[in-house]
Amino acid sequence: MTYTPITDTERLLSLDEPLQLLTPDGRRRHDPQLDEWADDLDATALRGLYRDMAIARRVDAEGVALQRQGQLGLWAPAQGQEAVQIGTARACRRDDFLFPSYRELGVLLVRGAAPADTVLTWRGEVPSTFDPYALDVAPPQIIIGAQSLHAVGYAMGIQRDETDQVAVAYFGDGATSQGDVNEAMVFASSFASPVVFVCSNNQWAISEPVTVQAKHPIAGRAPGFGIPSLRVDGNDVIACTAAMRWALDHARSGEGPAFLEAVTYRMGPHTTSDDPTRYRSADDVEQWRARDPLTRLEAHLRSMDAFDDAFTAAVDADALAYTTEMRAAAIGAVTKPALALLDDVYATPHTGLAEQRAHFAAYLDGFADESASSEEVAG
Amino acid sequence: MTQLTMGKALGAGLRRAMADDDRVLLMGEDIGRLGGVFRITDGLLDEFGGKRVIDTPLAESGIVGTAVGLAFRGFRPVVEIQFDGFVYPAFDQIVCQVAKLHYRTRGRVKMPITIRIPWAGGVGAAEHHSESPEAYFVHTAGLRVVAVSNPQDAYTMLRQAIASDDPVVFFEPKRLYHSKGEVDLDAHLADAPPMGVARVVREGSDVTLLTYGAQVGVALDAATAAEDEGVSIEVIDLRSLSPVDYRTVTASVRKTGRVVVTHEAAREAGVAAELITSVTEKCFHYLEAAPVRVTGHDIPYPPAKLEKHHLPDLDRILDAVDRVLGRPNSLSEVVL
Amino acid sequence: MIAEFRLPDLGEGLPEAEIVQWLVAPGDPVALNQTIAEVETAKAIVELPSPFAGVVGELKHAAGDVVAVGEPLIVFEVDGDPSGEPAPSAPDAVVAAPSTGETQDPPNLVGYGAPPRSTSRPQRRARGGGRIPAADTLVLEAAPHDAVPDAAPEDTRHERPRSTPPVRKLAKDLGVDLALVEASGVSGLITRADVEEYAARVGGAPSTAPVQAPADRVPAATAPPGARETRIPIRGVRKATAAAMVRSAFTAPHVTTFLTVDVTATVSLLDALRADRRLEGHRIGVLAIVAKAVCLALSRHPELNSRWDEEAAEIVQYHYVNLGIAAATERGLVVPNIKDADALDLTGLADAIGDLAQTARAGRSAIDQLMGGTFSITNFGVFGVDAGTPILNPGEAGILGVGAVRRQPWEHEGAIALRDVMTLSLSFDHRLADGEQGSKFLRDVADVLREPGRAMLLR
Repeated sequence: MTYTPITDTERLLSLDEPLQLLTPDGRRRHDPQLDEWADDLDATALRGLYRDMAIARRVDAEGVALQRQGQLGLWAPAQGQEAVQIGTARACRRDDFLFPSYRELGVLLVRGAAPADTVLTWRGEVPSTFDPYALDVAPPQIIIGAQSLHAVGYAMGIQRDETDQVAVAYFGDGATSQGDVNEAMVFASSFASPVVFVCSNNQWAISEPVTVQAKHPIAGRAPGFGIPSLRVDGNDVIACTAAMRWALDHARSGEGPAFLEAVTYRMGPHTTSDDPTRYRSADDVEQWRARDPLTRLEAHLRSMDAFDDAFTAAVDADALAYTTEMRAAAIGAVTKPALALLDDVYATPHTGLAEQRAHFAAYLDGFADESASSEEVAG
Repeated sequence: MTQLTMGKALGAGLRRAMADDDRVLLMGEDIGRLGGVFRITDGLLDEFGGKRVIDTPLAESGIVGTAVGLAFRGFRPVVEIQFDGFVYPAFDQIVCQVAKLHYRTRGRVKMPITIRIPWAGGVGAAEHHSESPEAYFVHTAGLRVVAVSNPQDAYTMLRQAIASDDPVVFFEPKRLYHSKGEVDLDAHLADAPPMGVARVVREGSDVTLLTYGAQVGVALDAATAAEDEGVSIEVIDLRSLSPVDYRTVTASVRKTGRVVVTHEAAREAGVAAELITSVTEKCFHYLEAAPVRVTGHDIPYPPAKLEKHHLPDLDRILDAVDRVLGRPNSLSEVVL
Repeated sequence: MIAEFRLPDLGEGLPEAEIVQWLVAPGDPVALNQTIAEVETAKAIVELPSPFAGVVGELKHAAGDVVAVGEPLIVFEVDGDPSGEPAPSAPDAVVAAPSTGETQDPPNLVGYGAPPRSTSRPQRRARGGGRIPAADTLVLEAAPHDAVPDAAPEDTRHERPRSTPPVRKLAKDLGVDLALVEASGVSGLITRADVEEYAARVGGAPSTAPVQAPADRVPAATAPPGARETRIPIRGVRKATAAAMVRSAFTAPHVTTFLTVDVTATVSLLDALRADRRLEGHRIGVLAIVAKAVCLALSRHPELNSRWDEEAAEIVQYHYVNLGIAAATERGLVVPNIKDADALDLTGLADAIGDLAQTARAGRSAIDQLMGGTFSITNFGVFGVDAGTPILNPGEAGILGVGAVRRQPWEHEGAIALRDVMTLSLSFDHRLADGEQGSKFLRDVADVLREPGRAMLLR
């Protein structure tokens, strides 16, 4: 390996532009640090990335629509961040364990989350959906930054098992203000744990611009902890893939943690309860629309004669299949009976809770109508 | 049987747990090379190595958060929070993550984490080193909470806590770290009383006195002194605060009809409030008098010279016993 | 088929939205997720995507209307089978998809929204669907480290009697030991009525409460023909009374002293009083005279009007007389007492005795009457016997048994004459009074009965 990661803070901070391999208008660029990690991304690979991003976008839109239609209580749109999510997740090895935030929809899709898995928690039916050990993904985290410590702990476990998986922590720019994220970097660095921190700097923490969180580029913090870091164009899936490959390789080969700051933009609201018109301008958003991750890749693929109607039709069909199932899963969800409330609080029986359960069951059984019954609803 | 201090008994319990299961890890500040500020983990680094006995950075949230990650990976982390007053930075990870992950993942991910906390006062310590925060954790669904009062329980219950697939907040009364007691180091866990049961440490017929931790010793002293007045007090060491063994408690209350609860922790919304409510719910028709609690005052823990007025002592306990017996007491003239 | 779209809660608790503009009109074909309207909530302007593919039927509200969450917004006609083309794909376009054939169920309104403002009265849900198990069932499940060893059925021998605090207080005030009271309440709960009933037993009178359990009636002894014995369970009233008697008998050392007295003068006095018009309506009998004599004598012999307080290690001498008059009733013996009998004159005493007896026979003695006595009189003369060894009413120092008045030969002014003669039997607590004191008291009482005028010597 000839590449030398940037640990020099001064040099890092002097960067005006994040590292980029694909311009907004679809031209391929070179970057001495990233090139070797992107060499093998041919048209087939790029079409695969495009497909994943396009499906992620459709799924995200469907989520928003379902919320607007009253089928989901909330949705956190990921629109605009497809490149970071798809690029980094695809770069991982299947047995690397990922610790996402609540916005990393693309990461879940790459790992094979089922359509129902994307909606049932937002609908309020269950506290989480997929089995973390089936997808090697932790349940999406709502406490900002908490997952960064979990990733480090997991990586410490990998070290003790003497295997070569990597743990990945995903979080946003706001999270980097949280103590937990900083503590995670201390631990990761002190123990040289195989963990990659992926910070999706989408410029906004609800209504607060990133400048409230950071006066210097976020990527510049990691070297202060002793962690090498790259700052990449988060709307450039090729750069994201390459940078992630570098980071994973670094961690996997025993060199310790690595940090990526992917500079992107949250095109939608923080969640469907938010109104961004109150704190940012339409112009700002439009500027970023011009830097859209899918548009630029489409342009690039077209320039390679690798983007045609047959391709888009196939992508649309895949997207439609997924979103149709999503919609059906949401609308057709059967809410659990009342007594399910008390399931799974403990791994082993707890006498206090067992008594409460018995009393609650007796209470429910006291009603004349079936719907209050403590009996399990079939199916 | 061996005579061991509680500190040594805890160390022996850790050693045994680590020998029995190589997924058990110890994490905490100063627990490795120093052997812990109370020497509880003394010798364990040498015996098990740095991969399993980890000196962590000075960051409680980080300690518990990385323990969560290790639990995800299938390890059984035993975390030491250096002093009770320092658990608060970790409170978010404990309450939002450790306590909830089993529920959140519907049972797929377990959190077999033991959080050891040197706890409570009576050691003349500086501020923040004598806290009794157990109520916060008892109130948090998804956690088990235990408090040991003697070296044997320290040894056995720590092993049980580590072996449990549920997270356990394990309170160790630091003022008993150097107190000695008989410990059967060969006791099989399966034969030992389960972690969740209470123990009647002294039988009596007139009053049921419920307590836990170092306060058990004070309660026993009070019971002895009460004999001189012809009062027979039954002392129960709860051992487990979540869950509470109400079977043992209510059997006693049905016998005596009178209840006093005592703990160092502050009064308002303390564990005594929960115990008395539950005992009243379950045993109302057996009660001869309203239950009484004897607790720390609702103040931040006081400076060392004043702590003896804060910690409920023998006299305050017996004043409460007088009250439930309908004898003259400090509140006889006071309309509550 | 018709499908309705109701306004959802668009943002975690928003109650309503105003329609800014409609982007479709009735008759327009609409694709799934196509934006059909813009609405403004308290938080934001929101685009509403169509939940159905079909044709717009009816717009339920106009632009400018404020619509509450849950109200129908728009009605569609939808196909029963999938149809239609997906819209041309564009990176930012929402996928337009044909209907999947979902039913016309209105969308679930997820999120809390505003609670529907109901005009009907709040009501409980109908109950009665299932069994309600016992409330104090403790469910204990075992885990390896949490198992509570399955103990033998709980040992209830050491359990205290079950009652409620107010009833316990009542029992304490009445001096009733709950351990002796038979419980009639659920799960062995001792009720207020149980305590009152018991107090009646200890004193003897039936309580004011209506008869509850059969426990206070002697169960009908049904002996099978030819049986050589009948078994009657010892419980309830009988058990309680027996216990009280035993307690009394074995606590206070009883001594009984007898004195037979010529009461002819008393009898004459009573005849005269009976004939006195001014005393019409007041039935003054021998018992009243005895009661008066006792009250007078007690003032000279306070040791017979006292109590042995073991706990305080004190003898309590009363400065009043609550005079108990034993009465035989259907239920058994009751001893209601006349409060401050020493303050009453003869007429007052007679009236009080009369009332007491009447109330007792009617089974209506108040608890208050049954408690707090300091000395008792028992008139077994009505049964035709002369003397006896009465047992002290628990807590009292003395009890005077009054025998029948008999006409019999007696010494009178040096000759034998037929006189009215009566025997007095005084039992007293030897801890509180000695033989001399008891005898002197009895002599004082007898003196008044022999020569009523001597009453003036006593007070």
